[in-house]
Amino acid sequence: MKSENSWRYSMMFTAFIGVGLVIAVQLVRLQFSPQASSFIEQAARYAWEPRLVNAPRGQIYDRWGNLLAGNRTVYEVGVELAYVEDPQAIAFTIHGLLGEDYARVLRLASMEASDEAVYNRLSDFTSVDNVEILKNQIDQRREDIRASIPPTGPNLEGLVFRAHLARSFPEGLLAATILGFVGQDEIGYHGIEEYYDELLAGTSQEIWVPRDPNRVEELPEIPPGDSLVLTIDRELQAMVEEILDNSVEEWDAAGGTIVVMDPNTGEIYAMASTPHLNPNEFSNYDAVFPDNAPFNWATSKSYEPGSVFKIFTMAAAIDLGLVTPETPFFDTGEIIVGEIPIRNWDNNAWGPQNMLSCMQHSLNVCLAWVGTQLKAGNFYDYMRRFGFGHITGIDIAGEATGRLKEPGDGDWYPADLGTNTFGQGISVTPVQMLMAISAIANEGHMVTPHIVRSLVDGSNQFNIQPQFAGQPISSETARIMTEMLTETLENKESLALVSGIRVAGKSGTGEISTLDGYSDRTNASFVGWGPVDDPQFIVYVWLEDPTPIWGSLVAAPVFKQVVERLVVSLNLPPDNVRIGLLEDSSE
Amino acid sequence: MNNKQKIIQAYQQAPWRKQRQIIGIYSAGIVFTALIASIYLNVTARSATLGREIQDMQVMKEEIEKEIEDLETELATLTSARVMEERARDLGFEYINPATSLYLPIPGYPGRQTADLAPPPPTISATSQSLPPEFTMTLFDWAREMIQQISLQTGAN
Repeated sequence: MKSENSWRYSMMFTAFIGVGLVIAVQLVRLQFSPQASSFIEQAARYAWEPRLVNAPRGQIYDRWGNLLAGNRTVYEVGVELAYVEDPQAIAFTIHGLLGEDYARVLRLASMEASDEAVYNRLSDFTSVDNVEILKNQIDQRREDIRASIPPTGPNLEGLVFRAHLARSFPEGLLAATILGFVGQDEIGYHGIEEYYDELLAGTSQEIWVPRDPNRVEELPEIPPGDSLVLTIDRELQAMVEEILDNSVEEWDAAGGTIVVMDPNTGEIYAMASTPHLNPNEFSNYDAVFPDNAPFNWATSKSYEPGSVFKIFTMAAAIDLGLVTPETPFFDTGEIIVGEIPIRNWDNNAWGPQNMLSCMQHSLNVCLAWVGTQLKAGNFYDYMRRFGFGHITGIDIAGEATGRLKEPGDGDWYPADLGTNTFGQGISVTPVQMLMAISAIANEGHMVTPHIVRSLVDGSNQFNIQPQFAGQPISSETARIMTEMLTETLENKESLALVSGIRVAGKSGTGEISTLDGYSDRTNASFVGWGPVDDPQFIVYVWLEDPTPIWGSLVAAPVFKQVVERLVVSLNLPPDNVRIGLLEDSSE
Repeated sequence: MNNKQKIIQAYQQAPWRKQRQIIGIYSAGIVFTALIASIYLNVTARSATLGREIQDMQVMKEEIEKEIEDLETELATLTSARVMEERARDLGFEYINPATSLYLPIPGYPGRQTADLAPPPPTISATSQSLPPEFTMTLFDWAREMIQQISLQTGAN
């Protein structure tokens, strides 16, 4: 019995040991074989897979929390080459539904699957609706095959869909020139999207996750981009855009801009300019803005402002004590500055005047005389202090600097002093004008315009404080200028006057310069603020090349329209009611 | 046959008994190995199932985050300025005429407040534990605690 079984046991023992030894030797041999690194690489390749963890782009809200820029799900459509059965059907369908180039899709879908070629992207930013159509076609065909009936739809096997987020602007055109847009490369262009791109974008990460569920790891928490709350009032913005579009059409203007700002804080309530592009359809950019045309006229387009600039000349002279509103001036209709004659807008002599009537009648000769009293050094010193010639620092991408020629510059001539005093030969942007005007409306203190009110970073909201940009003139000068510019509007029964609310302001008509000199076309503008005893808003209106050409005729009524609606949004009662309420509350 | 051989023979087990012992030992080894393997398989399978569920939840979390973004944008589209103005007009609303408006002071009313989008501070105390101590304390911690309790009870008696 013992001898009969022992050889069997020995054989089995030997076989087990032998097989074990072979496996052990093979394991050791593989570890040190020339192919070892290749095997390790293959194992690593199949053990892990890459995954892009997206950080959603931060959202943008108006001051009341209305969403202006959010995100929506879109799909990348691609093919897994190993599973493609009919590349032509895929190419035909993708071309027909998504508009992709047929030959390109066919080439990508027809590639042989290999270690190097596994997946090809056919299209991106595909809408949910289109992906649903494609998925339904795939499901329908599979259903037909399962039911053993001849499939009717195209064979789209191999198509795969990867969801990701893309920028979406639910308000469409509203505030488009403020917001900018986000391209397919997920980079912000123009406006807020470009200026705050790094904050908004967050940081997406590609991480490697194990396929083996036993090795599952916690995915890193990738925070979304920071969200922004703007100073913009959505309803006010919509209203201002509507008024601007109507005005451009009514006055047959080439374009224009309207900006509304709080003179106390620099918060921009509304900023409209033409043309505007629906940021959801940014592929139309070249058609709407040919030849790199300025995206936002309010910040990026400089122009010669004309007579609205007289405000700063007069403010400088009053601040230095050279003139008062009652200072007399005899207008002969012409003054020579730098050997160049300067005449009034109507080429007439207006005879005996004072500084108040000079501003009321917008007399170039008078303001050029004021400039000569100031002399170039003082004049340009004040203009620098008002912020002309350099950017304001508003938080919108692409701000232009304008141009303030000064003595010492190669292209400055003494005659420039004369023309600069009434806003010709100098170029500014509307936001520069707003910032400078804020000094007049805000007791001499100039505020930096800004468009972002708060930054929301996870669980914290940081409110941005107003930034003051100096005090170019005294409080007394600011009050005198405000009163002068209120009286001038009231004396000439300006079209800018608003029932119930006292406003100060000045119109301007600047000739547009061309390569052949000044043309008949004009920049018509108006800047005004109110209520004059406690200014709560500044409104700047600029229409390019309107008909008629005068700012007092086309821009002033636009100012009035804006203010009439603005006071409702700001909950600003008529002066008599407001003052009455203040008196009641103080008793 | 000497005494030594006699003793060995006297205490020698029968061949069939030896065979059963060997079979028993082998069987015990196989059963033990099978037991360990089955426990290992069970634990591994449960771990793999949980791992897969975690992976599914990670995907689901991403999908839910996308859905939230979609819904927020859709809500904003449905309540956009243009849509709301059209709805207001359809309902017969008109723009306010400031000249004919009646202004009433409301003591204590701060006016319309600007957006405050930061989430409220968490109400859960930072020191509260999310897991019971059974899942976090070591065997030594447990033993120390038990000894302390016993010594306290002894001291109290």
